[in-house]
Amino acid sequence: MSVIAEHGGLAEHIHPEPQGFIRKYIFSLDHKIIGIQYIITAFVFFVLAGCLAEIIRIQLMHANGGFITPDTYDEVYSIHGSAMVWLVIIPMLTGGFGNLVMPVQIGARDVAFPWLNMISFWIFPVSGLMLFSSFLMGAPVAGWTEYPPMSLQGAAGTSMWCAAIFLVGVSSTLTGINFLVTMLKMRAPGMTYTRMPLFCWGQFATAPLLMIATTALAAALAALFMERQFGVPFYDPTKGGSPVLWQHMFWFYSHPAVYIMILPAFGIMSEVISVFSRKPIFGYRLIAFSSAAIALAGFMVWAHHMFTSGIAPYMQLPFMVITFIIAVPTGVKIFSWIATLWEGKIHLTSSMLFALGFLVLFTFGGISGVFLAAIPFDLHVHGTYFIPAHLHFVLVGGSLMGIFSGIYYWFPKMTGRYMSEFWGRVHFVLFMIGFLGTFLPMHWLGAEGMPRRVATYDPQFQGVNQFESIFSFIMTLAILIFFINALYSIRNGKKAGHNPWGARTLEWQIPSPMPYYNFKHIPSVFGLPYDFTEPLPYAHLEEELTDSPVPVGSH
Amino acid sequence: MAVVSIPGGGEVDQLYAETRALRLQGFLLFLVSDIVLFSSFIFAYLYLRNSGQGWPPPGVTRPAIALGAVNAAILFGSGATMHYALENFKHGKFMRYAAFMISTIILGVLFLSGQGFEYYTLYVHDHVSWSGSGIFGASFFTLTGMHGFHVFCGIWYLTILLLQSVHGVYDKNKYFGLTAGTLYWHFVDVIWVVLFSIFYLV
Amino acid sequence: MNGLEIEHIVAVVLGVIVVCVALFALRNDWKTPGLDNQVFKIMLGLLALGGVLAALTGAGFIGKS
Repeated sequence: MSVIAEHGGLAEHIHPEPQGFIRKYIFSLDHKIIGIQYIITAFVFFVLAGCLAEIIRIQLMHANGGFITPDTYDEVYSIHGSAMVWLVIIPMLTGGFGNLVMPVQIGARDVAFPWLNMISFWIFPVSGLMLFSSFLMGAPVAGWTEYPPMSLQGAAGTSMWCAAIFLVGVSSTLTGINFLVTMLKMRAPGMTYTRMPLFCWGQFATAPLLMIATTALAAALAALFMERQFGVPFYDPTKGGSPVLWQHMFWFYSHPAVYIMILPAFGIMSEVISVFSRKPIFGYRLIAFSSAAIALAGFMVWAHHMFTSGIAPYMQLPFMVITFIIAVPTGVKIFSWIATLWEGKIHLTSSMLFALGFLVLFTFGGISGVFLAAIPFDLHVHGTYFIPAHLHFVLVGGSLMGIFSGIYYWFPKMTGRYMSEFWGRVHFVLFMIGFLGTFLPMHWLGAEGMPRRVATYDPQFQGVNQFESIFSFIMTLAILIFFINALYSIRNGKKAGHNPWGARTLEWQIPSPMPYYNFKHIPSVFGLPYDFTEPLPYAHLEEELTDSPVPVGSH
Repeated sequence: MAVVSIPGGGEVDQLYAETRALRLQGFLLFLVSDIVLFSSFIFAYLYLRNSGQGWPPPGVTRPAIALGAVNAAILFGSGATMHYALENFKHGKFMRYAAFMISTIILGVLFLSGQGFEYYTLYVHDHVSWSGSGIFGASFFTLTGMHGFHVFCGIWYLTILLLQSVHGVYDKNKYFGLTAGTLYWHFVDVIWVVLFSIFYLV
Repeated sequence: MNGLEIEHIVAVVLGVIVVCVALFALRNDWKTPGLDNQVFKIMLGLLALGGVLAALTGAGFIGKS
């Protein structure tokens, strides 16, 4: 019922490939092109938001600041955070890698609604430009969380911020619906839920979060917009509203959003670690179901961001306990990956290096997250640099490392060429050094009480801050190397075959770059894609790599 | 081309059946996300209402209950006519389908007029406004206004569906557009059951 | 008979009609398979509940002004 039929249905329905440049590469309906569009656009915003991060680090070189005014500083970190979360990590991991790989991995020709997919993509750059254009009219100053009442007093750009995030939320919601229907209805024959590759399980757990949580954020943003533009009292305490209401609605979205940002990266980890250890993934079902458990529990922990916001003590305790419980499925995944590595035949490619780096850094960030879930500790470090340290460990050390790992892994599939392995390793080493030097000392700064989101600080912290700024330049250098490597390799990289890594998921069984129709014949699936000693568990794939004609338009 | 039967529907070809299944699933998920949108605002309303200011806040008049009940009954009635529009279309009775469809649209317009009259009364006679009446104005006008906007969109949606069916876009077996329209209209009705309860009954 | 009384009577009558029609439709459709029809059944049930609420409100049993 839920699996597409072999004859006469969507499986046999191949549209002829469009030939014009615009329909082929700009307003494309092809999920692979759209995925690459997402990745490129997100990297453009990544560069912009990264420049903002460096402005922050330059400002913090000196205890009295002086590089930019404190007001500009507020604008810079607000847009840096918003852009990194909504314009870089979420679109890259869901719209980008999800579109690029997920439909092929489940053996489908495209996502369920290609037009909707194109619309979701084109909303995203528009909203990104809106977000950055808020600098022109006075950007928001209350951080990426935009707590009222400060966001109510911000300049006109705050309303622009609301509109931009609302739009990118619409894009996310549509993508979530699209992916969920694709994975529920369009799997190839034999591709049961417990045979789906783990990257698809990551997307499968993320899609409902995108669909449900993002809509809740849309409501919060609409209310903030109405309050700012029309004076409708939702959040202003002087008119009867409640600032804590915003925090509830915002974190009801933004805590699941944390899992939107990490579950697809978990999926990438599962693929990469298994392939480069040449071993079946340890505990396939545990990893798959723990994704679902994390997604479910992610809706029940939002108030752990609000322990200092004056919520009732009887509410605090359950939120603390459920937050601790969420660490369990996450730990299950970490231990499964370590067990996969155990006695595996490990290939230290760039992709695998980033995956191993992910394991270390994400575990570190996860553990500081467990610290923060404990109310007494949270009361001590809330609003200090401990928080940026934790969130950069999970978002840079987790999601961004996952993104890099995924780019190195799927680059041959996108372009048909390798990225330079040597420069990939240089990228990894410099990035690790830069990252640890930038963010590790922030834990100490936070524990010592240095407040976040302030343009100046106590002179006793100046030495550590200068140290961090210098290492952040090393991180920037590493990312520069990555970009040059990627851009150079698109045309000049070493040619890769259809399956350079010896991987077993479906996208590696078809030519690189992937053809428009994905499969000449929809495959049948007999087992998991992780048993490296067995023959491939697929049928009907014999003609994919040959010159046999494409059955265009046959029904 | 293989002929398959849709559960509870007609006999269609395989491609239509699969496309229909995708669209149905997608449309239902869209409605789920819309439910979340309403739920968030309802949460905001209940949160503000229980923030210790009393309800309604001092100096604010609640909307008239009798008119609200009539209006609600009209909207629920339109849900019933919509159901029979789809039933008649399924059984090929086009004229009865068109009559039920037109009455649904008329009832929808009546509901919007009633709501407009309610807003007018509140605003002109009772001086209750969106931004000037504290949390009552904010939550009442935002939520009912958002619902009214959904009804407004639904009226256009049904009108377009009616015109499409007159032009023969749908037939006795392939009528998914009408199913989606019916789902949407029922959704709008059912949301009003909740909104009516929390604004007029408690 | 003033406008308010007419409104009360109209609400009760319309509400009762909605309940009857919704329950009748629900009984007719009870065994229809299909995802869309399952959702329709839930919707019809809630519609009947809405009719009950409208009728009771019109009759003055519930509701706050």
